[in-house]
Amino acid sequence: MRLLTVGIVLTIVLAIISLFVGVSDVSLGALLSSSAEDRPMQVLVMSRIPRTLAILLAGSSLAIAGLVMQMIVRNRFVEPSTAGTTESATLGFLVVTLLAPGWPLMAKMIVAAMFALAGTALFLRILRFVPLRDVLLVPLVGIMLGGVIGAVTSFFAYRFNLLPSLLAWSMGDFSGVLRGRYELLWFGLAGTIMAYIAADRFTVAGMGEDFTTNLGLNYKRVMTLGLIIVSIVSAVVLVSVGSIPFLGLIVPNVVSLMVGDNMRRTVPWVAVLGAAFVLACDIVGRIVRFPYEIPISVVVGVIGSGLFLYLLLRKRHNAA
Amino acid sequence: MTISLVFRTATAALALTASLALTAGASAQDITVTHPQGETTISGVPEKVFTIDWAAFDNLNALGVEVAGAPGSNAPAYLAEYVSDDLFNVGSLFEPDFEGIAAEQPDLVIVAARSASTYPQLSEIAPTIDMSINNADLVAGVQGNLEQLGEIFDVQDRAAELIAELDAKIEEARAAAEGKGTGLVLVTNAGSLGVYGPDSRVAWIHNELGIPSVMDDVEDGDHGGDGISFEFLLEANPDYLFVVDRDAGVGNEGAAAALLDNELMHETTAWQNDQIVYLDPQAAYITMHGYTGLMLMLDQVIEGYNSAE
Repeated sequence: MRLLTVGIVLTIVLAIISLFVGVSDVSLGALLSSSAEDRPMQVLVMSRIPRTLAILLAGSSLAIAGLVMQMIVRNRFVEPSTAGTTESATLGFLVVTLLAPGWPLMAKMIVAAMFALAGTALFLRILRFVPLRDVLLVPLVGIMLGGVIGAVTSFFAYRFNLLPSLLAWSMGDFSGVLRGRYELLWFGLAGTIMAYIAADRFTVAGMGEDFTTNLGLNYKRVMTLGLIIVSIVSAVVLVSVGSIPFLGLIVPNVVSLMVGDNMRRTVPWVAVLGAAFVLACDIVGRIVRFPYEIPISVVVGVIGSGLFLYLLLRKRHNAA
Repeated sequence: MTISLVFRTATAALALTASLALTAGASAQDITVTHPQGETTISGVPEKVFTIDWAAFDNLNALGVEVAGAPGSNAPAYLAEYVSDDLFNVGSLFEPDFEGIAAEQPDLVIVAARSASTYPQLSEIAPTIDMSINNADLVAGVQGNLEQLGEIFDVQDRAAELIAELDAKIEEARAAAEGKGTGLVLVTNAGSLGVYGPDSRVAWIHNELGIPSVMDDVEDGDHGGDGISFEFLLEANPDYLFVVDRDAGVGNEGAAAALLDNELMHETTAWQNDQIVYLDPQAAYITMHGYTGLMLMLDQVIEGYNSAE
């Protein structure tokens, strides 16, 4: 518990740093010496606070989505981007952009979430036909499914001249976040809270269908709830800032190493560390090429793939 | 007897071929075109011309040369009226229909920029020239291409006219921009912003029109420009913003305008004085090496400066 407090404090410190990193001069001194109508205060309210909130929300909810996914699939190497979920959401977003470009973002998000739901359900369906539950086989199946869905998406994007937009969606980026342009991400918080409330059920469901049924739980219902949380979070983040790879994979795995697998204990950890990790990466992305920015997905991808490799190899080593 | 007849026919045929070749060589002068990927000799004025580049189509069209084949998709909207249905579809920019082109036996194939990499294969099928241009010296490149095409198709007068018109238009834009402060070329893509610098595909705004850039060290991430935030725009605060809207594909027209319509942008000079110029997205991103496209953008720049007064 004390450790968790340290984590929370770390996140708050990072959040405060995030408020003061940017092109405009928003130092404490500038803020104190200016009134509410002056530029530093305006930039803080219109740009910095929304951006920091967006990072906190996206980071924590994506990490939670990864955790839920790992519970219901019973595999540590699964997360929305290795299960076809993100790719399906992207396809949904592309379809709605093509067919109904004028729809509000909220409606587009819902369509993307529906596609994500369908794609993830398909993934679970395919898994049933995979007899060998090898730890690495499951994410491989997911990555292949994601590849197939991604190919369909690319095809349509190519045909309709939308490849640049597709590329932009797949590159998560917080640089465009402003007041009024990130609020959908609060749905992610709703997902996190739902995951916390239903944490015990997911823990039980993680032990298998028979076990769950024996304890008197409706296995299907728990799975469906998990799928809905994962789909909504993936769609919301995709539509608001673009996809952020690996996040849902690294954070839950690191937390699992630290505090084990009881989901009621891990949910706060995953949420806090997810937020801290994305905050740190975004601050790095803002500083490295100041005043220009590096998209968050690049920074997370570089650090994340390194960590992912480490986790994979570590597992191998233990098994051998 | 039979043998001698055959022999005589053969000799006659040979003589005929030789004399034909001679006359062909004598009447239409061969033109040797030097281009970025080598030299190509074109004999006579080509009649059946294929282009795998919309900017080249644009230039040929402006010169009044009839084009027989063009890419099957992505024709810029401002060229749509000139793209007839009887055009042979040469395939896509990156993947031309080599077999189809070989079967059609065109007199000349033009590649450039995106299709330049197909030159080695195409040059084995038909006389092919590469009309790629260096973005850093774009206007001179377009004019050079017009001149070259004028020579190949024997329409030098028309080419000279177009070159003069382009010069006049540049001069007009230059005069309009004179003393109006700094500019910045912004590229918007699905909610993200990038800036184009002095070496990019829109460098002519700075180089040719003399509009000072608000900064001179943009590294230009090739396609999307350097990633920036709205804060950056607020602080750099250029007097004029030139916007390349890459979302303006299917039904997404106005995406850039919607993106820029926000609280931070409302604080900038460009927004407050209505000094934001939206460049034709296809001309700015795909066919900036074409005469019509360039003239279109120059007109948009001129209009932007004149309407702001």
